Amino acid sequence: METVLKDNIARRNRSNRQFLWLIIAGAVITVIPIFLIVGNLAVKGYHQINVAFFTEPSPDTFQAMTAAVNGEVIPGGIANGLTGSLLMVLAACLIAIPLGLMSGIYLYENGNTRYSRFIRSLTEILQGVPSIILGIIAYLWVVRNITRGYSALAGSMALTVMMLPLIIRSTEETMKMIPITIREAAFALGVPYYKMIIKVLIPVSLSGLATGVLLALSRILGETAPLMLTALGSPAVSLDITKPVSAVPLLIWEFYNDPNMVNLVWSASLFLMVFVLSLNLLSRSISAKHKYI
Amino acid sequence: MKKLIYLLLIAVVAASCGSGGGKTAKNKQVTLSAAGATFPQPFYNLAFKKYNEEGGPVINYGGIGSGGGIKSLHDQVVDFGATDAYLSDAEMAEMPAEVVHIPTCIGAVVIAYNLPGVTGLKLTPELLEGIFLGDITKWNDKKLADTNPGISLPDMNITVVYRSDGSGTTYIFSDYMSKVSPKWNGTLGTGKALNWPAGIGAKGNPGVAGTISQSQGSIGYIGFEYANAQKIPMALLQNGAGNYVEPALESFTAAADGEIPADTRIMITNSQNPDAYPITSFTWIILYKEQAYRKRSAETAAATVNTVKWLTGTNAQAIATSVHYASLPQKAAEQAAVLLSKITFNGVPVLK
Amino acid sequence: MNGDRVTKTILFGSSLAILILSAGIVFSLTGGAIPVFKEFGPGFITSSSWNPTTGSEEYGAMPFIAGTVMTSLIALILCIPMAFSTSLFIAEYYKGTRTAGILRSLVDLLAGVPSIVYGFWGFYALRPLLVKTGLTDQGFGIFTASLILAIMIVPYATSLSSEIISLVPSELKEAAYSLGATRREVIFNVVIPAARSGIVASFILALGRALGETMAVTMLIGNANIIPKGLFSPGNTMASVIANQFGEADGLKMSALIAIGLILFAITALVNAAGKFIIKLFA
Repeated sequence: METVLKDNIARRNRSNRQFLWLIIAGAVITVIPIFLIVGNLAVKGYHQINVAFFTEPSPDTFQAMTAAVNGEVIPGGIANGLTGSLLMVLAACLIAIPLGLMSGIYLYENGNTRYSRFIRSLTEILQGVPSIILGIIAYLWVVRNITRGYSALAGSMALTVMMLPLIIRSTEETMKMIPITIREAAFALGVPYYKMIIKVLIPVSLSGLATGVLLALSRILGETAPLMLTALGSPAVSLDITKPVSAVPLLIWEFYNDPNMVNLVWSASLFLMVFVLSLNLLSRSISAKHKYI
Repeated sequence: MKKLIYLLLIAVVAASCGSGGGKTAKNKQVTLSAAGATFPQPFYNLAFKKYNEEGGPVINYGGIGSGGGIKSLHDQVVDFGATDAYLSDAEMAEMPAEVVHIPTCIGAVVIAYNLPGVTGLKLTPELLEGIFLGDITKWNDKKLADTNPGISLPDMNITVVYRSDGSGTTYIFSDYMSKVSPKWNGTLGTGKALNWPAGIGAKGNPGVAGTISQSQGSIGYIGFEYANAQKIPMALLQNGAGNYVEPALESFTAAADGEIPADTRIMITNSQNPDAYPITSFTWIILYKEQAYRKRSAETAAATVNTVKWLTGTNAQAIATSVHYASLPQKAAEQAAVLLSKITFNGVPVLK
Repeated sequence: MNGDRVTKTILFGSSLAILILSAGIVFSLTGGAIPVFKEFGPGFITSSSWNPTTGSEEYGAMPFIAGTVMTSLIALILCIPMAFSTSLFIAEYYKGTRTAGILRSLVDLLAGVPSIVYGFWGFYALRPLLVKTGLTDQGFGIFTASLILAIMIVPYATSLSSEIISLVPSELKEAAYSLGATRREVIFNVVIPAARSGIVASFILALGRALGETMAVTMLIGNANIIPKGLFSPGNTMASVIANQFGEADGLKMSALIAIGLILFAITALVNAAGKFIIKLFA
């Protein structure tokens, strides 16, 4: 009896340790690409980043060409892309976050009705729509009919539709993990429904919600295809939502397509990545303050 | 933290609903938007910027492709479009109103290749047909060697690289090939996207250029500026007069010196001029002949027409050559001016 | 009480947004797809000819359906071990430590890389690597595309499943430990079953992302409009062909592309339904 137990324990311990090493190996392999990519970007894009990068609009092909010929840093920057992206992302968030939050809460509160299940399926399907199709739809609905021209509004509409499913699903999944006791305690105290949502439900799940919003933001910050058909791009630094604007990924695409400006691709991409990372860190610090679970 | 975010939000919303002019907008009244071909985009972006510095409006140009430019003009969501392939009669009929084509510059499609140690490759129409249709598969094929006696061609497979996306560059190349090769005309034909029998597809001019420069033994067709900027070897092509011509601005302009119809809708590939590079083409701006549509203001119409006029003028054409686009020959510029003078706003010519 | 009703109505109203959006999208897509189905009938879905030459146009969706399914499935298979180990690392083994925080940030970085950049990196760095291994001639093909897809979808699978795993109540785990279970046994017998539905949901999320990915795939898949002949053969996916051809398409061809978009929509729906079925099996 005892011998069997001892063998068993030894084997179990061994497989335990092996599994641990497997997990560590897997995790390391997973993050190798990020080092490779960032390394690549940093090495190729580092020298292009200076103050002008943030304050000046994109250069034209002639400036880039002369700089390349002279071996200098290409002048100009991505200011027009920065303001355009900011504008569209903010507009998209203004709509997508409240709408997504409320829809997610609705689904959580009304878990199993047929309607809820239907909405849930629709949300998942919507998530899988390729961004270019959303761009086409935004072109048909907004560019053609609402703003009668390419505009930042159309671009932000496309981005909103991309953010919504992610926010809704992560909201619902996060809320599902909250112990039901917290919610019921609020009701037991006679807290009105909306207050329960605002003061109890949301703060408790803030870290999960922040993750969801962040995933959604990271997804849309790098999207190009839909913006090509909606925001069009612009050389000017502008905050007019009814006119075409540029965006950082659009600029990246323009640089890629211009024979002389290819080298700007790396610095712009590097910037975008660093930005997303900062967003991550920011959200983590916010949710660290509010973590209840 | 929260208060800061709220303040930021309010500030941005207020700013965006407000004036919304750009830092570079001198003419606060008018902003124009245009969309179309990517091929002339580097030239247009530079030209529009200079025009704005001289007091012209801010012009937002999106390189979404010739088809996108045509669609946008059709939907009347841009002030003018840009396309490498002029509208066919059928396409003209689908437009809501009459559309005018104004040529702005000339570009060329070159045959770029990657053969270590080999430069100055010469190609005839037959060779092009053989390579791109998949009949000639090795670099040291006898037919290639016969045309290039001074070059030692390696025993390597030929990898054809074509455009995977719909493109004006493909259109120009296939237009030329259809003219010089009956076999091509009968099979692949002319178009922005073709049913290529052999090789790999890459997205966009940069995709093809990048693929060629990274893969030994590859060959493909790209816009001249790309091969130039990335220093990829270009083949000398035998033109209609039998001469082997190198891709260069002079040979492009030479291809355009033939007769040009009044509406400028002509493909100038396979020019018979002895100095001409055979795969050349105009690129056009398209706009409506009658500018008073969809509540457009007289100012916007004037700004639009003046912009296009400036593009065909000497200043802009000098800018074109500075970034390796060939300028319009005399005849084409004259036709353009005539067409522009006929553009009206509510029946009255815009240009005085 | 009235206040509650108002709140409930507002919540219900926002859920309608999804309904209206989806209905609108399906409506627009179907409208655009009708011409091509009128021309080729339902055979369009299974046909593998793709000839855009004017005069003898023929379109079929099969090559792209095959390409999409192959790349997405292979990407998911490649992604599962990576995402699994990473989320266990973050949420179980090193939960709460700085290492886990760093790892999580690193994985989130992966999500922040724009898909174009993945395309560039894949084109300039990954492709030559694969060519060196000798498995493939030029480096374009199904495998390369699947590999880059796998890397791209790992953050989606990881972040959601690690969040779910970390929320498994400690009492359950401690009960198992008190009975003498090893770490590994606790994971396999307690944590994973408890977080099962969330983990599967995260993989379905990842798969959905893979199905619709455009830019990175289009730069690496070789863009051959044929049904892929093998793991390393070039091919094409639905999202990729739409992105490539839509700008210049019109008439019948545009209708074909929109129809392909509709089919992609339908396949995503199918995958989600299948996912739900699997989750139900597990729950």
